[in-house]
Amino acid sequence: MLEARQLSLSISEFALLQNIDLQINPGKVTAILGPNGAGKTSLLRLLTGESLPSSGEVIFNGAPLSQWQPKQRAKILSVLPQGSQLNFPFTAREVVMMGRIPHATGLIKDTEIVDAALNAVGGSYLDKRFYTQMSGGEKQRVQLARVLAQIWEADVSGDRFLILDEPTSAFDLAHQQLTLKIVRDFACQGVGVLMVIHDLNLAAGCADQLVMLNCGQIAAQGTPEAVLTTEMIQNVFNVEASIGVHPKTGAPLVIV
Amino acid sequence: MRRQSPSTFIFIASLIFVLALFLGLLSGAVDIHPSKLLGLFSLSNMDMDHRILQTIRLPRVLLAALAGACLASCGAVMQGLFRNPLADPSLIGVSSGASVGASCVIFFGGASLVGSGVGLPAITIGAFIGGLMATSVVYRLATSVAGTSVSTMLLAGIAITALAGATTSLFSFFADNEMLRRISLWQMGNLDGADWPRVATLALVVVPLMLVLPREGQALNGMLLGESEARHLGVAVERLKRRLILLTALGVGVAVAVSGVVAFVGLIVPHLVRLLIGPDHRYLIPGSAILGAALLLLADTAARTLMSPAELPTGVLTALLGAPFFIGLLLQQRQKRVG
Repeated sequence: MLEARQLSLSISEFALLQNIDLQINPGKVTAILGPNGAGKTSLLRLLTGESLPSSGEVIFNGAPLSQWQPKQRAKILSVLPQGSQLNFPFTAREVVMMGRIPHATGLIKDTEIVDAALNAVGGSYLDKRFYTQMSGGEKQRVQLARVLAQIWEADVSGDRFLILDEPTSAFDLAHQQLTLKIVRDFACQGVGVLMVIHDLNLAAGCADQLVMLNCGQIAAQGTPEAVLTTEMIQNVFNVEASIGVHPKTGAPLVIV
Repeated sequence: MRRQSPSTFIFIASLIFVLALFLGLLSGAVDIHPSKLLGLFSLSNMDMDHRILQTIRLPRVLLAALAGACLASCGAVMQGLFRNPLADPSLIGVSSGASVGASCVIFFGGASLVGSGVGLPAITIGAFIGGLMATSVVYRLATSVAGTSVSTMLLAGIAITALAGATTSLFSFFADNEMLRRISLWQMGNLDGADWPRVATLALVVVPLMLVLPREGQALNGMLLGESEARHLGVAVERLKRRLILLTALGVGVAVAVSGVVAFVGLIVPHLVRLLIGPDHRYLIPGSAILGAALLLLADTAARTLMSPAELPTGVLTALLGAPFFIGLLLQQRQKRVG
């Protein structure tokens, strides 16, 4: 389990996050929602050990996150940050192969996993293409395949977690759906998924648990039905919305 | 450009290196017949050609090869660390700091110090200390509790380079004619002082460096994705940065100390190798080392023979050949992007 206990973060007297309590369970999909500047990315950075909280702690599979060896942790915790700075001409295959850096499973096994991960994101055709020459959506798919390859198989170190910061931002409709399907498949294998996502309906259709952040605090937390209410959206986004029901899945549907 | 397989490339580069080595040994102010190479290490044989080979040519080609390998592989590491294919070892202040050290020694009575102590000229020691001092200042400026900021380091490097440049100019301004000539000659980068103590000093640093650097290849690949990405792949980023900056500062510091500022090798060679075999540091670093050694050897041989018996400064030749070549690469890449 990945757990936040009373996390707070302030930078130069300015409180970015206050008293966050949160549990990410294996096998479940959790989505963080909230307006710009609510502290979504800051929370992800704390939960992945990228920055340290001013107070509170993060517990990862039974031990404080900071006590994990970087290599050991990387075998079971995979993180896709927002945007990518890679501007060297690696091929898609080489980029995805980097997801296997923490493991010592051998080239044959790694090649199989890279093939499967590229295939999963619908990127097999990108294989030998240069990363620097791809479109934004293609780059994002390759990066997604990389973090999937990193935790492709269960590891003795503990439960696996996948953390995605706006994984669908550059995707067209088809690839948004594909990403959500991948996320569900991983959750079915026992992976705990946490993602920041802006589209409320995508979140409602895919997540088991929604966390609504507002001004550095959790405004609401629970099932999509419990969190996505007219009042909540009015309070947090200052937008008047109606809540319907998805005709097929039965998930709440936010109509603005 | 189509990618070559790394093993083919390393094989061809090694071939070029061996050819360059022979060419370097045999040609110069006096051309030596290849048959003389057979008895190279016999001590009894003391004719003129052998003495030239043993005391002049061999240390010189070894020095060129070691310096080329060192500069090129450190350049590859720097470009990875800064995530910038145009980074150069001089960015962290090594070269300019070394210039200050060297000109300081020349100015304050270098001539009387030559040959003192361990047999290394005081200029070399001064250059080395200057290079390390400049790098440590740059490193400290860029390091805070939060870790080392690579972009701050780049800016600090520019500032320290400017400061060091001004200091060197100040020394030149107050220097007399003879000193001035020696300062400028040193700055042009020259291998003509090659002797066995210098070769040994350089080898002592470069050989371990060649064994250590390629091992960090995989971690450097991760760094190209971005620092947080590398951290999430289990790379101990701060430790890696600290170690690589120290190693490259040491490598470039020694290379500059024994050979002066040899321009462009650290920039162009990794760039060229990356175009040929791709950016994977596990092959890029050894590939750059071999090609760097070969190219500096060829450049140095050309510098010795073009105007023989006079010699051109090696650094001038590498810059004269390197700059147009680099511009050609840039144009070719741009054309490919447009077309």
